[in-house]
Amino acid sequence: MIERSVHFDASGHSLDAVQRAAYRLSDRLSCEISKRDDTIEATLFLAEDAEDPEALIAEFRNEVLDQALRERIRTETSDIRNLVLALAFSKTGLTDTDV
Amino acid sequence: MSRFREPTAFQAPNADWQLLPFRFERIDERILLTNLVGEHLFLSGDEFQLLADGALPADSPLVRKLRAKHVIREGSDDLPVELLALKARTRYRRLAEFTSLHIFVASLRCEHSCPYCQVSRQSSDREAYDMSAETAALALDSVFRSPSSNIKIEFQGGEPLLNFELIEEVVERAEARNESEQRNLGFVIATNLALLDKRVIDFCRAHGVYISTSLDGPADLHNKNRPRPGRNSWELATEGIQRVREELGVDRVSALMTTTRSSLDRVREIVDCYVEQGLTSLFLRPLSPYGFAIKTKSFDAYDVDRWLPFYEEGLDYIIELNSQGTPMVEQYAAIALKKMLTNDDPGYVDLTSPAGIGIGAIVYNYDGDVYASDEGRMLAEMGDTTFRLGNLHRDSYEEIMLSDALLGPLEESFTGSAPMCTDCAFEPYCGADPTYHHATAGDYLGRKPNSGFCRRNMAIFKLLLDRYESDPSTRALFTTWATH
Amino acid sequence: MIALRGKTTASTLAAPLPHSVWKLADSGTLDTQRRSRAFLLDGGCAAPPSFNLYLARSTDPRDDLPANTVRLPPELDYLSGGDVLSVSEDGERIRVLWRHRSRQNSILLTERCNHYCLMCSQPPKTANDDRLLDEAFELMRLLPRDTMEIGFTGGEPTLYGTELVDLLRLCTNLHPEAEVHVLSNGRRFADPEYAAAWASIDNPNLMVGIPIYGAEPARHDYVVQAEGAFNETVRGIVNLAQLKQRVELRVVLHRQTAPALPEIAEFIARNLPFVDQVALMGLEMIGLARANIPALWIDPTEYADELVEAVTLLDRSHVHTMVYNHQLCLIPRSVWPFAVRSISDWKNEYHPECLRCSVKDDCGGFFFSAKYKMSDKISAIEDGQAEPALLALGAD
Repeated sequence: MIERSVHFDASGHSLDAVQRAAYRLSDRLSCEISKRDDTIEATLFLAEDAEDPEALIAEFRNEVLDQALRERIRTETSDIRNLVLALAFSKTGLTDTDV
Repeated sequence: MSRFREPTAFQAPNADWQLLPFRFERIDERILLTNLVGEHLFLSGDEFQLLADGALPADSPLVRKLRAKHVIREGSDDLPVELLALKARTRYRRLAEFTSLHIFVASLRCEHSCPYCQVSRQSSDREAYDMSAETAALALDSVFRSPSSNIKIEFQGGEPLLNFELIEEVVERAEARNESEQRNLGFVIATNLALLDKRVIDFCRAHGVYISTSLDGPADLHNKNRPRPGRNSWELATEGIQRVREELGVDRVSALMTTTRSSLDRVREIVDCYVEQGLTSLFLRPLSPYGFAIKTKSFDAYDVDRWLPFYEEGLDYIIELNSQGTPMVEQYAAIALKKMLTNDDPGYVDLTSPAGIGIGAIVYNYDGDVYASDEGRMLAEMGDTTFRLGNLHRDSYEEIMLSDALLGPLEESFTGSAPMCTDCAFEPYCGADPTYHHATAGDYLGRKPNSGFCRRNMAIFKLLLDRYESDPSTRALFTTWATH
Repeated sequence: MIALRGKTTASTLAAPLPHSVWKLADSGTLDTQRRSRAFLLDGGCAAPPSFNLYLARSTDPRDDLPANTVRLPPELDYLSGGDVLSVSEDGERIRVLWRHRSRQNSILLTERCNHYCLMCSQPPKTANDDRLLDEAFELMRLLPRDTMEIGFTGGEPTLYGTELVDLLRLCTNLHPEAEVHVLSNGRRFADPEYAAAWASIDNPNLMVGIPIYGAEPARHDYVVQAEGAFNETVRGIVNLAQLKQRVELRVVLHRQTAPALPEIAEFIARNLPFVDQVALMGLEMIGLARANIPALWIDPTEYADELVEAVTLLDRSHVHTMVYNHQLCLIPRSVWPFAVRSISDWKNEYHPECLRCSVKDDCGGFFFSAKYKMSDKISAIEDGQAEPALLALGAD
């Protein structure tokens, strides 16, 4: 097992984003996540014969950033999402037609 | 003309762009975006950065593209919201129809012994494995309890033609009942065609019954998969196909292929075989991890990564054939493309969320047991009754359709609330398959990073999008498939 | 080019005409009604009695016209029985409202408009022209029962609000079999009450033709020169569709719209797939279009790829699509099945190249106004010419 620690500043990264990133890559690495004060520590475990460990770790870091962006999009659009779905299934405003 | 105002007068004044719900995936150097209803577009890294940073200008080709695809809106603009709602409503419209595919297992008997077959091989003379008229009557009651305006009754087995009297009775009773029900009623028999005779043909002609059969490819491939005592299976299948085409009509028979290890290097031959038989539709299926496949170890004969090149080569070959004037549709692509390019629902129960189990398709076994899906029945044959919902002779419709056995997997597998699926840009195209994940991972949701289902579907969606974006004639072809 | 208006060259009217709309009768007319009928004199024959108005052609040999007669200018000599005219009170000015023999009549309801399209063929005016609506009501009463097509245009007809609905209801009642087509920017239908009023006309042969020039507001609003236009127009289209009203979408193709044609087609296919048909239209070089040639002119061969892509997408998405006002030699052959020979007979002209073209009879030719600007790529299609495929598509 190759073991590496990656640290994230908790004020700029959420625990949720780090967890989601770890989940997404869980076919190629496993992860222990802990939070202490202002730091999130992700300990990554890669197989000994992992093809390109550095690239995988870089991918993990990038995935955390992407998950942070996804989180922002989710938050910003959650009201609109609910509005659209409510409107889609409402009886007012949209009559029951083949449209 | 000074009375005409410049384009700048009609741009959003403050670049007050608001995000509409969307998801993204990085694919090579580009970023794929899908909006709330699955409309897609590709952005470059730089374009995506502008969007992510909230740095979009008041107007630009990028801004116009994002607005047209309902990824952003101007702060006060309600029209995108209304249109998204309309499209979402259209996408979900089929849900309220409820169960439209009703599978009757007319007989569990079968004279083949295919290594991958999930159906137990009861020999031909055991009448105890036929569906009775009484069971069929109860099943028909259940069929018409569904509010669906489209009802398809599909006879499966074993080999359903071994119990043809029952098929005749079910069809006639259903039609009689439909005089007052007035549904759009259709029938299919899924058969290996070995027992096709004049009586069957005449009946199918009289009642508009469709035939679905298996054709795995050239004779040696097909027969290896489908051992049969007596005449070879491929000859019977191809003769049967031609007979149905000539005596019922070219559109009345369709074929599915099943992939085994032996198929993987021979996709062009398989496609050519279909073309030779005059068939215009082919379903390049993966092998499902159920039944005899696991027992005889043919499931681990290949995994998704070995199947994908097979699929890609087959798809590209089919595209090439079309460009040369030979019509051929790859069915799985057509189903996925309908979800990608239109607001319509193809109603394919294995690629939908909520899952199609029970609420899209349901299985009435020969003995009255009701299963949430065909795969669920196959698991039961191996001793796993997780997806048995009840029995027609014992349980009411309400007890069956509201059982935990159905509601549990429906709820738990819902991709809208599944880890990784919730973030996935392909989620609008994909589906929940609780049976697959139960069989392979032990729970209804599975773990998508390890899921063969997820891996296969993501690869297929990427492949389809790549081909769609790269060539106008493929785009036109795919649009035809999607709107069929 | 057929003239639709003119000034009379002589008059023997003793008093102002009692009304403005007149249906022509001539020696071949069997209908014996006199109400609103004017008689078209034939050469030297005597005027039949009891008409309130007579018309003499410019070639009529009489020097002394009968009473209550006006003499037509040469460009209106083509008029015949069944045609309907608007004649000014003093008998001096004539507008042709309806040509009996033509299948392309267009009834102008107003020149007022709330848009100011860059390419407008009917430049908007602000003066009150309600009389045009009044004349249209009268025209409905004068049209024969077997009239097959009735087209209303403007300006923006829905500016009349419910009066337009009343007119269309009268039209429906008097001519239930006619195909009725109304051109409108559709914005008024964003008001659900107005859409409902329209639906209450309950005419299955009624269709409204609504232009759309973009897949998002910036482009469309610029072309029509009105903020908020796109949003209201699309909302109007949706409202009409939900009430099962027939809608045609029109896209006029020029430099501001043709490059965006694939996006527009995609927007229609995905958001408005329920429309009855889509018409892609070549630009008519009259009105404001002439003033805006630099911003608007584009040789159709330059947007051949976009045209094929859009037509293919719409057609395969089961949206009935037609291409109007494009000469066949300028569009890819794969688009020919969608081309409609559509230029109104009163606007039709041909180019010298056309004289030896093997598909001239299938082609719409040109607008008269094309003399102001046209493609230099017009060329005769020889019989048996190799496919000039501008874009090879896969098998249909």
